[in-house]
Amino acid sequence: MPKKSKSNKGERIRRTLRQWQARLIDVLLGTYLALLLHRIWYYHVILGTPPPPFDVGDFPLYLIIGGGIFLVLNFLKASPATLIHAHPEGRRRSIAVHLWWWIGISTILTGWIVTRVSVFDLFSTEGLQGARRIFSAIFSPDLSILWQGLTAIVETIYLAMMATLFAIPIAFILSFLAARNLMQHHPVARLIYSLTRLLINFTRSIEPLIWAIIFTVWVGIGPFAGMLALWVHTVASLTKLYSEQIENINPGPIEAIEATGARWIHVLWFAVVPQVLNPFMSFTIYRWDINVRMATVIGLVGGGGIGTLLMQYQGLALWHQVGTLVILIALVVWVMDYLSARIRAALA
Amino acid sequence: MSLLTLHDLHKVYPNGTHALKGINLDVKEGEFLVVIGLSGSGKSTLLRCINRLIDPTSGSIRFAGKDVTQLSGAELRRYRAQIGMIFQHFNLINRHSVLHNVLYGALGRLPLLGPLLGHFPDELKVEARRHLTLVGLADKETNRVDALSGGQQQRVAIARSLMQHPRLLLADEPVASLDPATSHSVMQYLEKINKEQGTTIICNLHFLSLVRRYASRVIALRAGEMVFEGKPEDITEAWFKKIYGEDAEEVEIK
Ligand SMILES: Nc1ncnc2c1ncn2[C@@H]1O[C@H](COP(=O)(O)OP(=O)(O)O)[C@@H](O)[C@H]1O
Ligand SMILES: [Mg+2]
Repeated sequence: MPKKSKSNKGERIRRTLRQWQARLIDVLLGTYLALLLHRIWYYHVILGTPPPPFDVGDFPLYLIIGGGIFLVLNFLKASPATLIHAHPEGRRRSIAVHLWWWIGISTILTGWIVTRVSVFDLFSTEGLQGARRIFSAIFSPDLSILWQGLTAIVETIYLAMMATLFAIPIAFILSFLAARNLMQHHPVARLIYSLTRLLINFTRSIEPLIWAIIFTVWVGIGPFAGMLALWVHTVASLTKLYSEQIENINPGPIEAIEATGARWIHVLWFAVVPQVLNPFMSFTIYRWDINVRMATVIGLVGGGGIGTLLMQYQGLALWHQVGTLVILIALVVWVMDYLSARIRAALA
Repeated sequence: MSLLTLHDLHKVYPNGTHALKGINLDVKEGEFLVVIGLSGSGKSTLLRCINRLIDPTSGSIRFAGKDVTQLSGAELRRYRAQIGMIFQHFNLINRHSVLHNVLYGALGRLPLLGPLLGHFPDELKVEARRHLTLVGLADKETNRVDALSGGQQQRVAIARSLMQHPRLLLADEPVASLDPATSHSVMQYLEKINKEQGTTIICNLHFLSLVRRYASRVIALRAGEMVFEGKPEDITEAWFKKIYGEDAEEVEIK
């Protein structure tokens, strides 16, 4: 008997939790819709003028009106969140569905306005002329800067290579610390595992472009900043790829080498490393390939190499020169892509 | 003289599986002890507890008169180095040569740096070749192990365990992925090591015909408990049903 009442109690708690969750979602959705109705529909669509700058002081108003109305609807079982976990009928269902449509359409409208999508700009005569200008310039490149472009792209390739090379030993070591199967046997090991994972995921979540901005401020504009930016991101990415590979190895050889009484380092070296070496090389080459592309983009914010050169010509509106560089980049990326695919196929 | 004594050994896995429920076992020097039982009955768990690849939850293990239940670090490694282990799936280092795979059996007594730099003393290589000759693979030392047949790979694994100069050899279903003829050849090498070098062997097996042919003593596990202990010829029809369940039929392997 006591067992049954306990499970009922658990069920009741879960239901109550779900109810509060639904109320919270409704309040958030209501506030959001009120905001969009006022600032997007009222100003942009009806008045045709941008709304005044957002004042945090206004927020409670949206919360009370929008959130309030939705909360009331929630109690009447006709709110958007109700639709998720219950099955309201008739009028209630229709209200909830309508509100979802309003939320969806308003969101897309907001996106449209925020990014200033304008079909007119895309297909206006002026716009089309600009497009023609760029494309014709790109297809009639100014070959007198070919040498300058080549020098810059070689710089980019080397920059990408150095970033990859310097990342390998660090990623190699970190990947063992970030492999769950190797780090689960001891509480301290588990802690190191979690910290390494955290560090890696944090670093990876910051795009190389942003790292480049950070490093151009730190060490000054130029290839070194670009290299550092790529390096940091590459360490994190390779560590993740490497460690996933380690997690997928066959545990049998580990047991066998452990059973001989070998040291932990020897177990890693003889049972783990042989199983991951080829995939590691494969990932590394793939990463170098990616880094060449990223190095180009990073150059745009001052990371050196061909990107920086491209930026300069683009700033001067020298489209024929830009065309040369674009063709060079396309060529190099294509060759790298082809070579890296070939090498990886050979390693598999 | 007893080499290994297990006392009230329990193993509960982190997920709650109670894989060994109080095993008491005494293994004499020079025995060829075979462990039988359905899959999932705890045979592998038992072997892995003996060389401490996994830690028993409670109970004790004595080896050569010494309590080894709590060993750790370098002492644990020295203990493991005295016990060879052979696996169903061989567990060799696939991309490496036969000779190197055999040499890895000596890792337990080698210094830290040499092996990492690929250096193994010449006298070890001589010894490795001797073991390879014993298992009939003298001409294969430069081959990659993944190019060998299953039976040959298992013989490499036997040679690797011999590099440990083991006092005890654990074999976890060593012939379960081999065909019948190859099975006998592998079992005969184990028998030879047992007879000629006096190495004690504990071997998990599936087929009763192999048990009758090679075992000097048999124990049977069922759901983590020892339900039989005796001579292979004592496994009667009734015992067989008790160990493997009422519906079991004996299959022959010639
Ligand atoms: N690492 C593990 N974690 C949890 N349970 C396990 C693990 N290894 C084995 N078991 C369980 O322990 C029991 C005994 O397994 P095992 O020793 O492998 O049996 P056998 O070798 O006789 O087939 C089985 O129920 C199995 O599922
Ligand atoms: Mg098993």
